[in-house]
Amino acid sequence: MVDPERDERVSANYRALGREEPSAALDAAILAAARRRRLRWGVPVSIAAVLVLAAGVTLRMQQEQPDPELALPAPQAMEERRTAPPARVIAPRAAADAVAPASAPAAGAVLQSRAKLETGAKQTEEALAPEAWLERIAAMRKAGRLKEADESYAAFKRQYPDYRIPEAMLGKVAPAR
Amino acid sequence: MLAYRQGDVRAFETLYGRHKGPLYRFVLRSVRERGQAEELYQEIWMRVIEARGRYTVQAKFSTWLYAIAHHRLVDHWRRRGLQLVDLEGADTAAHRAYEPEPRAAGREDLQRLAAALAALPELQRETFLLHEEGGMTLAEIAAATGSTGDAVKSRLRYALARLRKAMDDG
Repeated sequence: MVDPERDERVSANYRALGREEPSAALDAAILAAARRRRLRWGVPVSIAAVLVLAAGVTLRMQQEQPDPELALPAPQAMEERRTAPPARVIAPRAAADAVAPASAPAAGAVLQSRAKLETGAKQTEEALAPEAWLERIAAMRKAGRLKEADESYAAFKRQYPDYRIPEAMLGKVAPAR
Repeated sequence: MLAYRQGDVRAFETLYGRHKGPLYRFVLRSVRERGQAEELYQEIWMRVIEARGRYTVQAKFSTWLYAIAHHRLVDHWRRRGLQLVDLEGADTAAHRAYEPEPRAAGREDLQRLAAALAALPELQRETFLLHEEGGMTLAEIAAATGSTGDAVKSRLRYALARLRKAMDDG
């Protein structure tokens, strides 16, 4: 549709006057202002998000479990924990044995530390002289720790299959028939 | 504009890219002095950014943009003590001559056109520029400038008659 108010000759000559554009610096200033106005709301929200994340990670670190990977909200948080100052020792699952039992009050840690104590006890027995070991078994049995005494006696027999236990001692250490 | 209102900066960049040339020339030819034009041009866009929350889909963006530009120019003219009336017999000698671009400098008819454009009364020149640079219809110009359709039509006719006469006078 032809615009009744348009004069093509005037239009053509007007366009020939030039097609000036704003300078690049003016463009940049205006676009930067547009970005700043948008960020006025965006920045506080993102700061708040970071603070919430940081608080969550701190809380997690304070509630440290022996198996940290199970409790982590995100891999990103895991990274922060690995790079965090060693206020607490972070123990990946593979290195869980290194966690000191005293610092691990959770149920899993208690079981773990008992297992470790038992292992340690066996190792200690094996280091004992045969007579001392037998005395220990006798003490267990006297205290009513019969199962433990049976197991220890079996271990003794495995380690010293040829040892002749004196009759007096045999009655105190051997499982009841 | 609605997308920018929602926080999409790229939507603003698109709008800016589309309208920057016409708006810049509209302002430049309205005030004729580059430094002042740049200042006004920047102020207009700042107002667009600040007022983004008030933009509604009822208005075409270009109409809204040029309405803001119109108000800014009216403020500018008023501060300079210029009267905004439709002066058919305006004393054109009071207006400074428009400085044409170098490419137009060798053509007398273009120089006469530039001088005649600069000499138009503000409202006639504004109407011509909104029609020519803004690509706006008479109804859109009326909406952007708060005028009646008849007043806009009349201003545009007078403006075109003067510009034609200036080109033919050589």
